[in-house]
Amino acid sequence: MSQTDTAETAANRTDGQGVSTTAGETVEETRSEWTNYEAGGETKLAVDDLDVHYGDDHALKGVSMDIPEESVTALIGPSGCGKSTFLRCLNRMNDRIRAASVDGTVELDGDDVYQDGVDLVELRKRVGMVFQSPNPFPKSIRENVSYGPRKHGDIETGLLARLTGRAEPDREEDLVERSLERAALWEEVSGRLDDNALGLSGGQQQRLCIARCLAVDPEVILMDEPASALDPIATSKIEDLIEDLAQDYTVVVVTHSMQQAARVSDQTAVFLTGGELVEYDDTEKVFENPESQRVEDYISGKFG
Amino acid sequence: MSRATQTPLVRDDRTAYEAAAGAAVGLSGAAFAVGLAALLDVVAIDDPVAGVGLSTAFGAALLALGASVVGFGAASRLGYVDTAPQPSAGLVAAAAFTGIWIAVGAAVAGALGFGAGGRLGVGAVLGVGAFAATALPREDVGSTLPAGAVAGLCGLALVTGVVGPGWERVLADYNATLFGDTVVPVVVLFASLVSGWSAAKAYGGFGARGRNVGAYVLIYLVVGSILAVLVGLVAFVTVKGLPGLLNGFGVGGETLIRWPFLTNGAGLLADTAGVFPALVGTVWLVVGAVLFAVPTGVGAAVFLSEYAEQGRFTGAVEVATNGLWSTPSIVFGLFGAAFLIPRFGNQKSLIAGMLTLGFMLLPLVLITSREAILAVPDEYRDASAALGVSKWQTIRSVVLPAAIPGVTTGVILGVGRIAGETAPILLTMGGGVLPARSAAPAVLSGFRLSGSPPFVSNPALLEATSALPYQLYALITAGLSGNIQNPQEFAWGLALTLLLVVLVFYAIGIATRYYFRQKLHQ
Repeated sequence: MSQTDTAETAANRTDGQGVSTTAGETVEETRSEWTNYEAGGETKLAVDDLDVHYGDDHALKGVSMDIPEESVTALIGPSGCGKSTFLRCLNRMNDRIRAASVDGTVELDGDDVYQDGVDLVELRKRVGMVFQSPNPFPKSIRENVSYGPRKHGDIETGLLARLTGRAEPDREEDLVERSLERAALWEEVSGRLDDNALGLSGGQQQRLCIARCLAVDPEVILMDEPASALDPIATSKIEDLIEDLAQDYTVVVVTHSMQQAARVSDQTAVFLTGGELVEYDDTEKVFENPESQRVEDYISGKFG
Repeated sequence: MSRATQTPLVRDDRTAYEAAAGAAVGLSGAAFAVGLAALLDVVAIDDPVAGVGLSTAFGAALLALGASVVGFGAASRLGYVDTAPQPSAGLVAAAAFTGIWIAVGAAVAGALGFGAGGRLGVGAVLGVGAFAATALPREDVGSTLPAGAVAGLCGLALVTGVVGPGWERVLADYNATLFGDTVVPVVVLFASLVSGWSAAKAYGGFGARGRNVGAYVLIYLVVGSILAVLVGLVAFVTVKGLPGLLNGFGVGGETLIRWPFLTNGAGLLADTAGVFPALVGTVWLVVGAVLFAVPTGVGAAVFLSEYAEQGRFTGAVEVATNGLWSTPSIVFGLFGAAFLIPRFGNQKSLIAGMLTLGFMLLPLVLITSREAILAVPDEYRDASAALGVSKWQTIRSVVLPAAIPGVTTGVILGVGRIAGETAPILLTMGGGVLPARSAAPAVLSGFRLSGSPPFVSNPALLEATSALPYQLYALITAGLSGNIQNPQEFAWGLALTLLLVVLVFYAIGIATRYYFRQKLHQ
């Protein structure tokens, strides 16, 4: 996308209000002052004019937002509003869907992740992801945690490494312990690291997935409804963990639960049907005094 | 709002009725089991039971069953017991009894000496009658009266000796003769199946619960008979083969175990003829085929399910593999004979047999591996990709380990098929009818390094080799008249050995699958 195109689209977004929708009903348009939120701190991820098409389906429409580092950014909105699509653009997981096409830029520390020559391995090491339903591998807890570093060659555990003396079991132990501790799971599983991860409860599995993600030492952690498959107690543990992780990591979390967004996040982006980002601001501001009528309706439960 | 029919939640006045019906179900099951035993020649139908022949005892049991089944229906219809019958036994039961009674009518008319028209007429009349008797009255009569009458009639025929030991009938059209010791068990099986179903319905008090119990009994009896056939087959081969297999078997002496049948060849000098060359040949054959087919098949499955775009190409490959799997083995054998043999020294050889069987095994390994790989949840792939792990590493360390149990299942099934295959190795591997011990392929010690390409050679792979199914086939066609002492016993021992070898391969496969499942889930 050329520079002029971007400028044009940005200009289009700022001029009028009150365009008519296909239904013929007049609704307010997304205004740039509602989404051009300047968060405190350094910008970790800068998304500019991001469009996503799945075949003919226009899933995300010109979304721009800056995500500050070492904070929790919540993405909320009704089903099908594009919030998960947006999240999966940030580490290019959408590349795995053949019909998806992405336009626009996503800059991680100033480098566009969609330019040619981007190393997906490096990108996903820096931008980790936790999925909606816990998906540990059918391996032992230890192997789950050390999976990423082992595959990246950071830790060698194979027979050859042991024979040549390059294996560092202590370093692996240390990494596993630190990752599990950071994910608040160490105390529950320290005695059974060699048990199969599928034997853990749902909440433990999800924290294991977070530990697995932390083990590759990412800078950004994307979470796609990480607690939606869990019971309230497991959910509250995950929420505590998210808040805790935000001290060292940039966390972006998609959630269906507005209470959850209100509890854990520093800033909140509201996506509404049609794949637009309608409002992006301090979480407190969004929930207590939203600028947009549609966002207010959504938050108060009249819509969506 | 009141319901159309109301049945009490708890019934307590049917215990005697239930006990009687339960006893009838038990009697049917017992008659069925003994009938199976008689069919498999475990017992003879003229064996004495309580002073009468088994056939007569069968008849008495069936008569009692028929009468009691009809009695259950009548007691329910007349309101002596509290049951929940539906308005009709249903169209399926009616159609089944129509068919049964047409057959019964035709058989009875034939026995009475009627011509073709007469048989058809009697059959049709009884069939229509059975349809009416099943479909029209309430369920408790409709599902007991025709069933009880069938059982009673069969019982009557057996008690009176119309059909019994020594009975025989020449089927002119088929150029065959039916004998009593086959027909009596079949009649008993059939009648006890029908009356067992009917008694089970009565036990359940008809209605939905009765149908449930009836289906349950029916399924159990049929499954039991399938298992009995399986056990019968294995037992038959075992009983026939054990004397040959254990000929000269002993523990102690010079070696720990002496088992000449498995360790000797069939040369003139061997005191006890054995199948060692063919046994070793079969083992190497299967090992070679698996070594060829598993890497190729799994590799192709990985490509088709992980790399190739799903579409016309993968569809065509799928059709082709399914077609290959159903290709007759003799065609594979011809391919091996015409294509492989000229390329491996122009004579039948072990390696030609291995590759031919490998080709046969390949499609099944491919199909099952592909299914197993597709069954691995996408979440694993997503999780691995999100950690920045490359596709190939994901396949190697997550997808394939999760697919191993499924792949193993495919290999087990395939090995079961190829280990007993005769036609392909007949054309590609050959070997003698009664090979001497020295003819056993020495594959492991046969490898030779050489200075010129291909740098390694193995004469054992290039020699004609015997295998168990081929040797069995060759013995049978040679008329069992080789220079061994007891060819009949030898051949049965050979058959039992083949069966055991296949079972051992099965056991290895199942143990492997179990090991990997445990690894995945514990």
